[in-house]
Amino acid sequence: MIIIKAENLSKIYNLQRQKTFKEFIPALFGGQKTKNKFNALSYLNFEINRRESLGILGKNGSGKSTLLKIIAGVTKPSDGRITVNGKVAPLIELGAGFHPELTGRENVFLNGSILGIKRVNMEKLYPSIVEFSELTEFMDQPVKHYSSGMYMRLAFSVAVAEKPDILLVDEILAVGDIKFQEKCLKRIKEFQSQGSTLILVTHSPGQIEQYCQKVLILDKSKKTFFGSVKEGVEKYNLLTS
Amino acid sequence: MSKLKKLLANFKLFFSYRELLFNMARREITQRYKQSALGYAWVILNPLFQLLVMTFVFSTIFKISSFSVPYIIFLMVGLLPWNFFAQSLGSSSNALVGNANLITKIYFPREILVYGTIIAKIVDFLYSCIVLIPFFIYFQVILTWQVLWIIPIFIIQLILTAALSLIISSFNLFYRDIQYLLTLIISLWFYLTPVLYPIEQFPAKYRFIFIFNPMSVLINAYRQVVLGGLPPNLNSLGIAAITSVVLYIFAYLLFKKLEGQFADYV
Repeated sequence: MIIIKAENLSKIYNLQRQKTFKEFIPALFGGQKTKNKFNALSYLNFEINRRESLGILGKNGSGKSTLLKIIAGVTKPSDGRITVNGKVAPLIELGAGFHPELTGRENVFLNGSILGIKRVNMEKLYPSIVEFSELTEFMDQPVKHYSSGMYMRLAFSVAVAEKPDILLVDEILAVGDIKFQEKCLKRIKEFQSQGSTLILVTHSPGQIEQYCQKVLILDKSKKTFFGSVKEGVEKYNLLTS
Repeated sequence: MSKLKKLLANFKLFFSYRELLFNMARREITQRYKQSALGYAWVILNPLFQLLVMTFVFSTIFKISSFSVPYIIFLMVGLLPWNFFAQSLGSSSNALVGNANLITKIYFPREILVYGTIIAKIVDFLYSCIVLIPFFIYFQVILTWQVLWIIPIFIIQLILTAALSLIISSFNLFYRDIQYLLTLIISLWFYLTPVLYPIEQFPAKYRFIFIFNPMSVLINAYRQVVLGGLPPNLNSLGIAAITSVVLYIFAYLLFKKLEGQFADYV
């Protein structure tokens, strides 16, 4: 059973050179170039089965985050196709939906609905979210008074409240203190054992060995390797050394 | 056929996110006056002072005639719906841009952000209507059953507002010039809509411009049904309704077409 399938997946960004009309209109009529094309992903092919997790390795700017965005459905591929069979929970950047003036509790419910969780379910999940975050006594305070660690803890707790089919993680396993980090990793492991697929973007091959069955190595928008973890990590170490 | 299917799928998806819509509206409302002493009272105080100042300037100084009703009553029936319209458009320019962090991270139907701000403005509008009550009592304005016409009139206004908001919010994402242009357009539009003056005072030979302005039809209709106790001019209201619906369909399709690029450009 295939959960994610990429066929000739490409993404080209049109970087607008002129940001305002004042610059754009003369450029348009003056025959100047108005756009710079930038290949973020070129002709990517891979597939992942259910119960498999994928680690994505690559240098900065190799297209890792673009791939995550395409899987999350935030941006559309310029060419090719992506098939995603399941509910995606992005942990791409924690707390994106938080509003500083609202209380912890209000933010939990708001973030839940951004993730597409129904209010009735949120009511049921709420106690476990608060418990997981260890922020019981701060829930009625505006999150602007939270420390950055507390902020991340609450955001992570909401994001992992419900078991997703696909969990997208972009180098954010450094949440809070070490104890909390371990708790997060344990939660991710639990999801995996319950059948969730993890898509992990990282610079650390060690994490991939621990959590993934497949590796995708990207370099300058192209796939240089897709396959087993052992081979992939070896290849990556060779590339970076 | 596949286009129709896609449209239906879009509606279904939107419906499944309806809770987010109301949460966004609630966020919009609660955050705005969180650290202010008078809080939500500003929604009423603002139009109140606006009315007093404008009444002084335009009735006492400029002596604009408002026929049988006191000028302040005449003004408020037009000004409150206008404020709702202008404020909705104004905040919609920021609806997508201000939520860039969400747009680039998580997928949900983007029109929710636009509709959310409009819903927040509807709530503001309803509260601001409290201003009417003491003045209506003091000046003994007598309402008739015709007043129920405000419901369909308001719905037409809502469709028009939603249509323009969808266009403004998405265009502003690509070019921030739109928000500055908008301030200019709204203030011009305000003077070309009979909010401050009765339409009869406008030179007859220029009066044709009101035909192209659905807001003038709506403002006149509000006055007609609330103050005149008469049904609205159904011909012009019908034209305004058709214009608004056609514009909305166009705006929605355009918005959905551009939606896939939002995350790349915001």
